[in-house]
Amino acid sequence: MSMQSGTPEAPLAQPGPTGGGTSRALVAQDGLAPRKGQASGPLHALGPVVRVTHDAISRYFTAVIVGAIVVAILVTLKQGGFTLAGQQLKNALVLGAIYALVAIGYTMVYGIIELINFAHGDVFTAAGFFAVFISGLLHLDGLAASGFGGLLLALAIVFPLSMIAAGLVGVVIELVAYRRLRDSPRLAPLITAIGVSFFIEGVLLLVEGPDNVPTDQASWINGTAFTIGKINILWTDLFVVGMALLLMFALGEFVRRTRLGKAMRSTAQDRTAALLCGININRTISATFFIGSALAAAAAVIYSINYGDIKWNIGFHLGIIAFTAAVLGGIGNIVGAGIGGFIIGLIYVFGGSIFGGEWSESLIFAVLVLILTFRPVGLFGVEVTTRA
Amino acid sequence: MVTPTKGLLSIATIAALGALAACGTASSTTSSGGTSSGIAGCKGTITVATDLPLTGGDATDGPYVEMAAKLAVTQANAQHLMGGCTLKYESKNDSTVLKDGHDPAQGEANITALAADATVVGVVGPFNSSVALAEIPVASQNHLALISPANTNPCLTVVVQVCSDPTININTASLYPGPHTYFRVIASDVQQGEIDAYVAAKVLNATKAYVIDDQEAYGRGLALLFTKAYTTTDGGTIVGSASLPGTTTSFATQVSLAQSEGAQVIFFGGTSGNGCGLVRRDMISGGLNIPMLGGDGCQDTKSITDADSGSNKSASVGMYATSAPDVSKLSSSASFYTQYASNYSSVAAPYNNAMNEPYTPYGYDAMNILLQAIHAVLVANGGQPPASSQTFRDKVVAQLRLTQYDGALGHTSFDANGDTTNTGFTLYKVASGAWTGDGTYAVDTSGNVTLKS
Repeated sequence: MSMQSGTPEAPLAQPGPTGGGTSRALVAQDGLAPRKGQASGPLHALGPVVRVTHDAISRYFTAVIVGAIVVAILVTLKQGGFTLAGQQLKNALVLGAIYALVAIGYTMVYGIIELINFAHGDVFTAAGFFAVFISGLLHLDGLAASGFGGLLLALAIVFPLSMIAAGLVGVVIELVAYRRLRDSPRLAPLITAIGVSFFIEGVLLLVEGPDNVPTDQASWINGTAFTIGKINILWTDLFVVGMALLLMFALGEFVRRTRLGKAMRSTAQDRTAALLCGININRTISATFFIGSALAAAAAVIYSINYGDIKWNIGFHLGIIAFTAAVLGGIGNIVGAGIGGFIIGLIYVFGGSIFGGEWSESLIFAVLVLILTFRPVGLFGVEVTTRA
Repeated sequence: MVTPTKGLLSIATIAALGALAACGTASSTTSSGGTSSGIAGCKGTITVATDLPLTGGDATDGPYVEMAAKLAVTQANAQHLMGGCTLKYESKNDSTVLKDGHDPAQGEANITALAADATVVGVVGPFNSSVALAEIPVASQNHLALISPANTNPCLTVVVQVCSDPTININTASLYPGPHTYFRVIASDVQQGEIDAYVAAKVLNATKAYVIDDQEAYGRGLALLFTKAYTTTDGGTIVGSASLPGTTTSFATQVSLAQSEGAQVIFFGGTSGNGCGLVRRDMISGGLNIPMLGGDGCQDTKSITDADSGSNKSASVGMYATSAPDVSKLSSSASFYTQYASNYSSVAAPYNNAMNEPYTPYGYDAMNILLQAIHAVLVANGGQPPASSQTFRDKVVAQLRLTQYDGALGHTSFDANGDTTNTGFTLYKVASGAWTGDGTYAVDTSGNVTLKS
């Protein structure tokens, strides 16, 4: 039943429940990933033919996903020509950028304390409302409308302030709901995470009401940047994708190069060992929550500028999809979550375009099932060294 | 057995009453209704009720209808419409905190409680078709008249093609384990779909439509009925369709598809809470400036706010929606609006103005129709309520079938299925940030649409 012989990506280590003993450990040892000894997947019990097929799909899973997306783009080209395919590609990248930013928050928290922070999507929503509040308080709408300099200034104000506010929310959530349960059975913090999610949604519903709330930020950036054929590329499209890539790059550099980033990586790898090396675990975990939530806030501001409205419960749903992106990329892997977000965006838009919008979400969750069956570590799960 | 004389008498008393209420003086006891028909000696208590969503997300709709129905009871009491009998009014709320609005389970519990009260002879409600599905069987089993001011789902009363669609899946026959006790004073989505299709083809001159629905019984049903009428009666082509959940936050994919297929109109079957305005927002930001058409679920301020929330602040221009006839323009409704305003002048805004909710006069007429039927039963029974409560309820239902009522909505009567014969929908379009009426259309039984006004 072992996969030692056939697959180079197969688990080489037998990590303990709190983190890998070696730097080549698979990221998800428990919960979402198969336990040691079961890494070859449940389908293996069904017989040699199934096993061979399973192993083949597992091995070439990335190729399968990429191939499917390429086929989908070709089908769309045939269906509606260059214009439709180009427009859908644009739609997919815009959607994927937002999923990617939210997915990173999930993956960071999972990487460091192995908790699926279900409240993360709601932090996104709350941050969107913070941004509305901040821009209302400081009259940023007028500033943003006053010209390019004003817009930059408004963005330079609203991004950091919302990110700090949401980051603090994330820190408080960790402090109140997760810290005391850090060594409890895995189910306990999962339940409090769902509790926190409901709590935030309830507060937002009470304060903001049940309807979409216009943020007035959609007018900050408008107009068409350029046109390719009949495809209009709007400034907001460029802003959304560019800002997401910039933030992801900045985070990557932060985790790779700073002391805190190093502390996060070592805490993720082995908390006890990190503690022995003198790393302040609590502070590191708080910092992780702060950064993850701040990225959700950035995503929320970007969302608000792109769509122009926000609603008390959008975060939960968006969060679940982003969570799928995180699993696709290999939960715990930051780069994987970013790429996973874009892949999910592509699946959502092209799947909806070809099969009908009602299938978009079914396809995404079908992909989730496929990953968990064939490649529970995700597309990039093996690159443990970059996780945080 | 309503004779023309009694019908006229009723109208006269309502009119007289209206004048009284408008003056704010309720001192008159010389009611023509009570004395002339010999029910002054009536003994007992008669209860009428409303079951409407009053709180949560429905607080913007339900309370108006409730207050209008209550006004009808107040006026009937002032007029001693039930003679010596006591006329009581009970209000039930089918909203729950859990659902943040109308909840079918709560509606069912409310009707069960009302049916258990032997003095209750009829209920005005519910507001939502999903609640009606839960309430109609209970009312039917208990022989209790249920008059809805707002249910538009056709499958509640008649079997049409869409009822068997997997997303709707309503078995009409199973709703009535007992007698057919359900009536409604609003036309159903069959008529609305036919009128929408006519509007798309003949008013907006679109031969190709892209259809989106919100996966709910109302929205999906309306989209299917639109599709059927548009492709058969009006000769249009559906170039694509999508069925998306209410949680959808971006419709960019569908807009790109519609654009690619050369759609000339996008029809949205659904409610504003499920994305009506967002579709419009994404159409404009995606560069697809063709008309968008919806049903009554779209015709509210929420749609306009959502549509204009994008970078284009006038994206809502180009949105069309059919909705309950704009009865505020009917002369028959003028006195109702005045009476409502004077009776509720002390109520806090916005509930003091009946115009804020298109269904307000529907609640008023529904209750008046019920009260008139009860009155007629008393008169026919020698001025006394029938001895058994079930006989009383049965007689009220039988009397409702004979309704010929002229009220705020114009002339209402019911067909064999309990559906109103007063069919008509007003087309609204967005102009300078508000919905404005753009003609009222009526449809006959063979699906021919005509412009009424």
